[in-house]
Amino acid sequence: MDDKELYFWRGPLPETQALPPDAAPEPWGETRVVGKPVTRVDAYDRVSGSAIYPSDVILPDMLHAAVLTCPHAHALVKKVDTAGAEKMPGVRAVLKDGMPGTNVPWFQGRGGFSSRLFDPHCRYEGDEVAVVAADTIYQAWDAVRAIDVEYEVLPHAVTVEDAMKPDAPGLRDGGNVPPAAKPYERGNVAEGFKAADVVLEQTYTTPCELHNPMELHGCVAKWDGPRLTVWESTQGVYAVQSGVANALKLPLANVRAIGPYMGGGFGSKLETGKYSVMAALLARKTGRPVRLFYTREQVCRSMGNRPANTISLKVGAKRDGTLVALESRAVGTGGAYAEDGTGGVDYLIRELYTCPNVRCENSSALTNAGPQRAFRAPGHPQGAWALESLMDALAARLGMDPVELRLKNVPAASQTRNGVPYSTTGLADCLREGATAFGWAEARGRRPAPSHIKRGVGVAAGMWQGGAGGPPSTAIVKLFPDGSANLNMGASDIGCGTKTWGAQIVAEELHVGLDRISVEHADTGTTQFATPSGGSKTVPTESPAIRSAALDVKRQLLSMAAEQLKVPAADLDLRGGEIVSKADPAKKLGVGQVQAFGRRGVLVGVGYRGPNPQGKATNPFGAQFAEVEVDTKTGEIRVLRFLSAHDSGRVLNEKMFRNQVNGGVTMGIGFGLTEERVMDRQLGKLLTANLHDYKMPTALDAPADKTVIAIDPHDTFCNTGAKGLGEPATIPTAPAIANAVFHATGLRVTDAPMSPARVLRAMAALKPAPAGRKGEE
Amino acid sequence: MLRTFAYVRPGSVGEALEQLEERGARVHAGGTDLLGCLRDGVFEASKVVSLSRIGELRGITAAPDGELRIGAMATIAALAAHPAVKERFTALSDAASVVASPQLRNQGTLGGNLCQRPRCWYYRGGYDCVRKGGETCYAIGGENQYHAIFGGGACWIVHPSDTAPALMALDARVRLVGPKGARVLPLEKFYLLPDDDATKETVLEPGEIVLGVQVPPPAKGTRSAYRKVRARGSWDFAMAGLAWAIAMDDGRVADARLVLSGVAPAPWRLHAVEKLLIRQRLDAKTVARAAAAAVVGAKPLEQNAYKVPLVRGLVEDALGAASRA
Repeated sequence: MDDKELYFWRGPLPETQALPPDAAPEPWGETRVVGKPVTRVDAYDRVSGSAIYPSDVILPDMLHAAVLTCPHAHALVKKVDTAGAEKMPGVRAVLKDGMPGTNVPWFQGRGGFSSRLFDPHCRYEGDEVAVVAADTIYQAWDAVRAIDVEYEVLPHAVTVEDAMKPDAPGLRDGGNVPPAAKPYERGNVAEGFKAADVVLEQTYTTPCELHNPMELHGCVAKWDGPRLTVWESTQGVYAVQSGVANALKLPLANVRAIGPYMGGGFGSKLETGKYSVMAALLARKTGRPVRLFYTREQVCRSMGNRPANTISLKVGAKRDGTLVALESRAVGTGGAYAEDGTGGVDYLIRELYTCPNVRCENSSALTNAGPQRAFRAPGHPQGAWALESLMDALAARLGMDPVELRLKNVPAASQTRNGVPYSTTGLADCLREGATAFGWAEARGRRPAPSHIKRGVGVAAGMWQGGAGGPPSTAIVKLFPDGSANLNMGASDIGCGTKTWGAQIVAEELHVGLDRISVEHADTGTTQFATPSGGSKTVPTESPAIRSAALDVKRQLLSMAAEQLKVPAADLDLRGGEIVSKADPAKKLGVGQVQAFGRRGVLVGVGYRGPNPQGKATNPFGAQFAEVEVDTKTGEIRVLRFLSAHDSGRVLNEKMFRNQVNGGVTMGIGFGLTEERVMDRQLGKLLTANLHDYKMPTALDAPADKTVIAIDPHDTFCNTGAKGLGEPATIPTAPAIANAVFHATGLRVTDAPMSPARVLRAMAALKPAPAGRKGEE
Repeated sequence: MLRTFAYVRPGSVGEALEQLEERGARVHAGGTDLLGCLRDGVFEASKVVSLSRIGELRGITAAPDGELRIGAMATIAALAAHPAVKERFTALSDAASVVASPQLRNQGTLGGNLCQRPRCWYYRGGYDCVRKGGETCYAIGGENQYHAIFGGGACWIVHPSDTAPALMALDARVRLVGPKGARVLPLEKFYLLPDDDATKETVLEPGEIVLGVQVPPPAKGTRSAYRKVRARGSWDFAMAGLAWAIAMDDGRVADARLVLSGVAPAPWRLHAVEKLLIRQRLDAKTVARAAAAAVVGAKPLEQNAYKVPLVRGLVEDALGAASRA
């Protein structure tokens, strides 16, 4: 997969004009503001409740909408009788298939096929059938329950095995199994395995995870004449603008999408939802603003998931630990509509370690289940679960330290991208410095206590295929005569602190306090174009444009001051609201005293994101270390402490860096220990459609003892040197825990999540070796 | 989204019983389970009768004779924090402290915890199952990793309460009042198995409510505890749990009561284990025999056989702890 074909963007990206080369800034040396652990600029708004999230928006005369979804895994809608519902108190509009305006083609998920807004062929429990707008949400739901639908229930398949059977019920013409993609191949794996001293093979399974962001999916829609405004909980307002404009055949200029605050997405809010189109249609029909948010159950069913995968992986190595062959077969389902159930699963197998002979084969099938969406590092945690577990097993078989085995195989170049070198790789340093800070050697050598509660430590490494960012991005910085500034950009803040690090960059370059910088963003009506925040690319995409915009303002200001002070602009510096001559510090001028500036009222600086360097690959890397306690009588695993070492280039804010890593680790603990979507095969329905049955980790599941180390190899791929972090942070977590469980008990749990049930099942299936410390697989 | 219902807050037990005579009336104690069931359409209510104004249902009292009296409306959090409960009825305070989450413990009541409906995802989901009067127990051929290994039959739910097994281990009695008058039952007789009636978990008659629970003073030398194993650290029901109260006399077991949670449609008392332990020293051999006896008669479904070694582990763990007394 080319870096420009990542899931958050399809097709080649336009290259935006960068600063002229002579204006390209030098990398930062010492910084005053950038990198410092400053508190988020919007922290007070967020914790006090004064931040208005899309689901908080209340407009005069606003109606509330509720969606009727199909209760069957697979059915044809024969008749929808809305007559009773339409007469109920407070009901203002009902929409169903066949009504004017509803014939909107719908494209659900990448690589999928077309259906329509209220497609009568319902392909999973949760497909939309009708929508009601009423004065109150209770009236809307009463009306939804009063709609009488006649379904012809069809046979269903909710597992990939069932869907691949020849007589499986078809989700579309042409069958459930899309044409097989060509396997990835380099070298010759058969020869590689022949040359290996040790060959290990294992099959691993991973859970289907639901994103479950805190804020539900939905929007508020309002028309002003021909112009539509949508307040939406989204990772990208420009994606919403184009999606809605396209669905409703509106000029882009007439659709304004607003979403500066949003309560989490993790990839599930990259695309335009049917809710935006339904809310807009209802608002147009009623002449009133409409609020439409899905319920938690509907979000669990319909708003995406991380596909479950079964990965069979085989590794061949020399006695000294040199890898000679890797071969994988992965199977998965993207559910209904989304063809690809294995996207990104084999990336680490192909790229993380030096290996001359690699073959990866993936297969998917459509099923009658909720369609997948990108989920924090699509495919990577699944791939890491297999690869990093098998690396640990290989280390045990070779009698090597797991850190040493990994260090033996750290690549300097990208093997999947024609061998181009990485602009920087901190993988080895993450492993080495992480191990030192964790006390790896000492913990590894500790003698087991004679108890049924066993302790152990484990390591896993990872990288993320994105994280370099790139064009397009435009940022605007406005400087006011009192030295205060405004940053304007289109990017969303999906939790990673976009406003804060953006303001820090402006503060750094314009030498102004953070309290004198305002930020406006994520509004297609007033801010610049940005691609959706996904792929861990918001920092590396936006930060260089912001820095360039701040420098553009500074250059203009200094050149005006130079004329006034009659010194060369190169002699001037901006310091705390004053322009000072470097040669003669007595020569200085307050920002407001620059006459040419005063006449203009405001100085506008524009910055673009330039292209990444040719012939280099840029990726973030990381290594994580876990210490666990396993109760071998009950199968309970407790994570006692955790250390994460991450190379994401320059750190823009040390506190947010730590918090983002620990958030990723907590999500990884969910993947490794607790989270799992469960479908019932009998009726094809989702059993875990709430936050009790779908078990996200609680505060008690994450260790209090968490350490985060930043490895900065001083990358210059962009003018801030900052790579992405959000996704890398969650990739190696689960296998680090599994490897610690093996070290503690000698038991290799190959199926995630490692619930007490799975641990006990694995113990029953296998009489464990006395200890993993010297044991063989 | 909740449907419309009437809501009343009577001031006395008598008034509450009158209000509950209406068909379709439901009791509201803490509401943590009721509201979820109403919202999800598990059952409906035309009227919700709150017990929150009835003073006599509140309170946790350690009587002079050593008996513990707990009103049905005492919150789980209050129970977990009560000094006398912690000191002398440890299993109950252990159990109360691991119920659900802090928010739910603050709101939830003991009466509600004893009477809560099962958490089976088929019962709670849109399935016309046996417990809702249908024909099929979907757990038998479906996703049954959290279901019963004991006492199943027409239905394989597990009883979700943590406090019930603890109270049963402590030999508690439950006080009920209804249209036909008041009665006191050993807690063990309060619960039903599917073989008795697969549509209800307790013997409560229509319009009957729990007034409170009374726990006799533990015999000299008694220790008790509750240990719960769950899929995550908080806000979760037991995959299996064990409440025990064991009285030791001169190094030998004088009396023992062991009750499991999370493995049967009612709190599951281990009579055979109790019998086997009497007058024994808790040495390795006895512990092994007891652990083996605990799982005799277990009938695992396709996905919950792990509960067999889990129960054995819990029994070993508990007796190990008791032997260190």
